[in-house]
Amino acid sequence: MAKKKCIAMLLAGGQGSRLYSLTTNIAKPAVPFGGKYRIIDFTLSNCTNSGIDTVGVLTQYQPLLLHSYIGIGSAWDLDRRNGGVTVLPPYSASSEMKWYEGTANAIYQNINYIEQYDPDYVLVLSGDHIYKMDYGKLLDYHMMKNADVTISVIEVPWSEASRFGIMNTNEQMEITEFEEKPEHPKNNLASMGIYIFNWPLLKEYLQIDNANPHSSHDFGKDVIPLLLRNKKRLVAYLFKGYWKDVGTVKSLWEANMDLLDEANELDLFDHSWRIYSVNPNQPPQYISDEAVVVHSLVNEGCVVEGKVEHSVLFQGVHIQKGAIVKDCVIMPDAVIGEGVYIERAIVPPNLEIPPHLVVCPDDLLVTKEWLQTKNEKG
Amino acid sequence: MNHQSMLGVIDATTYIEPLQPLTMHRSVAAVPFAGRYRLIDFVLSSMVNSGIESVAIFPKYQYRSLMDHLGSGKNWDLNRKRDGLFFFPSPDLSIPNPHVGAFAHFEQHIDYFLRSRQKYAVICNSYTVCNIDYEAVLERHMANQCDITEVRHQGRSLEMFVLETSLLLDLIANHRRTGYHSIVDVVRDHRHSLKICDYEHNGYAAVIDSIENYFCHSMELLHQDVWRQLFVKSRPIYTKVKDEPPTKYTGKAVVKNSMIANGCIIEGHVENSIIFRSVKIGKGAVIKNSIIMQKSQIGEHCQLHCVIVDKDAKVENGVSLRGTEQQPFVVRKGTVQGELINR
Repeated sequence: MAKKKCIAMLLAGGQGSRLYSLTTNIAKPAVPFGGKYRIIDFTLSNCTNSGIDTVGVLTQYQPLLLHSYIGIGSAWDLDRRNGGVTVLPPYSASSEMKWYEGTANAIYQNINYIEQYDPDYVLVLSGDHIYKMDYGKLLDYHMMKNADVTISVIEVPWSEASRFGIMNTNEQMEITEFEEKPEHPKNNLASMGIYIFNWPLLKEYLQIDNANPHSSHDFGKDVIPLLLRNKKRLVAYLFKGYWKDVGTVKSLWEANMDLLDEANELDLFDHSWRIYSVNPNQPPQYISDEAVVVHSLVNEGCVVEGKVEHSVLFQGVHIQKGAIVKDCVIMPDAVIGEGVYIERAIVPPNLEIPPHLVVCPDDLLVTKEWLQTKNEKG
Repeated sequence: MNHQSMLGVIDATTYIEPLQPLTMHRSVAAVPFAGRYRLIDFVLSSMVNSGIESVAIFPKYQYRSLMDHLGSGKNWDLNRKRDGLFFFPSPDLSIPNPHVGAFAHFEQHIDYFLRSRQKYAVICNSYTVCNIDYEAVLERHMANQCDITEVRHQGRSLEMFVLETSLLLDLIANHRRTGYHSIVDVVRDHRHSLKICDYEHNGYAAVIDSIENYFCHSMELLHQDVWRQLFVKSRPIYTKVKDEPPTKYTGKAVVKNSMIANGCIIEGHVENSIIFRSVKIGKGAVIKNSIIMQKSQIGEHCQLHCVIVDKDAKVENGVSLRGTEQQPFVVRKGTVQGELINR
């Protein structure tokens, strides 16, 4: 394999248990988002748009759909002769079965994969955030700052800072301290889970971390603090723009609603930074005579015969006559029956809402079980 | 390999004068249709969905856009190591081709037919819109021991023919002696001993050969029974994918009885119309009974009635354009339409 200056390792093994039934059968990075995409499309598109052509995708939890979705990476133009996308599930070695025990351990177990490309830098990414970012600029910054590690950070409101991993920095943006969910935050720069490491240093620290039986083998909890203790040069890179962790049903719903906001910074229509995905190849959407569609995103293959307001419709969705859909996210191939009233809800893929039901779930997510109890009562 | 399998042959050499100006810069096969497709997609996808793995396309005039559209055949799953998609441009533009399936074109690339192992061949034009199962046609062809089967729809030929590859080779080799210049000549003549059969296609079918019927067949797509016959989930029509985001409707959008592709931004009023990918419809614009092709922009407060706006065109703010169903007003590809001078 030819040498690569920088390769990306994308952590996509997350279960996303706070997305409940949406992640029963699929990993969090495969959860549908934005009318057409899956969450991981944003990170993979960022890679290809940033000129990073070698991406290892680390999977573990419910990998079936994720593996088939990623395939050989052609949707993101990452089907390359040298490099490209490589799916890296855990494997068993001669001595033991090795599940990925933490984010750092997942990278440690794939040292051989990384070494093939003899990279100078390794970019560590996570597959469950919605944002557009030029990693090339991050790498330039890392080199300019002559850093050992650069961590991308975003300004969060002070009131929310205690929910994040906070980087305390000096005026040169050098990281002096890392605090995971501090009760009394000293700063409001939150880690985005995006790191650039000098590879020789990362390799050394992964080996040290692996040898430590008390470590949880996590970048945030173990590796970064150890690097700080050893006075390595850690620098923060301030990212400005839209970034959202869609780890909960609420934040997933909010991020979808954000797309409908005129002033939203995450412009899906920007041709210079396209978000690629596996295209469903369905016919154009059909909007009937009786339909009303306003303030919404509607994907191909949809048939709309009812009223859709401030909602996101994925491919193949059918909104039947007289149905009213407000502030909703309707995932692929779901059917909203005649005369249904549905507000503030996420409808998972393939779910059918029977006619004339009123659906306003408290916790936003409509499930099969919820529909069943509703049917029994009604 | 299955020896009952078929070769797909798409004759894209035809030039259709009445389709001007849509065919000014592109072959008939590449004329955009149904919001996100090109005419050839229907026949080509039908072939792929019928298990055909080797497709030969014979283009002639203005085939740059056709080549660009089809590429390696990947979107139709025809980028194969064995078989796949083949292009055979005509080296001789002077060959007259009054009919589909001109043997003189095939003769220039006879090696393709000689090398193919498929026992049967399907010959089609590139401008018939339908979703047809050629396996069913072949089955009937074999059951009735026909020599050539012609697919028809409501009394009209769809210019699709099934025959044995060996017979096709014979016809190509002897066309000068027999005087049959094309497959159509053979089917229309009764002096030979070949058994010619008809196959009636029951689903929707439209042959696009003039601006008027381009317009009327496009409008037919807005009938649910028509698009249900054309867009069948188990037999999808494939096309070049574009990675467009979903279409965005703003608060002022009013859309009625229309077919809209991805990547559009709709801020105006759209009724009984077909809107292709990445079209922008400005605020206060009213589009009725019209076809707006990909990447075109319709300015604010425009009034369009029975208009075809070709690809990459722009209609400036406040412009009114009016055609009729028989004679739709056409805004040519890549042009800017300002206020008309003679109004």
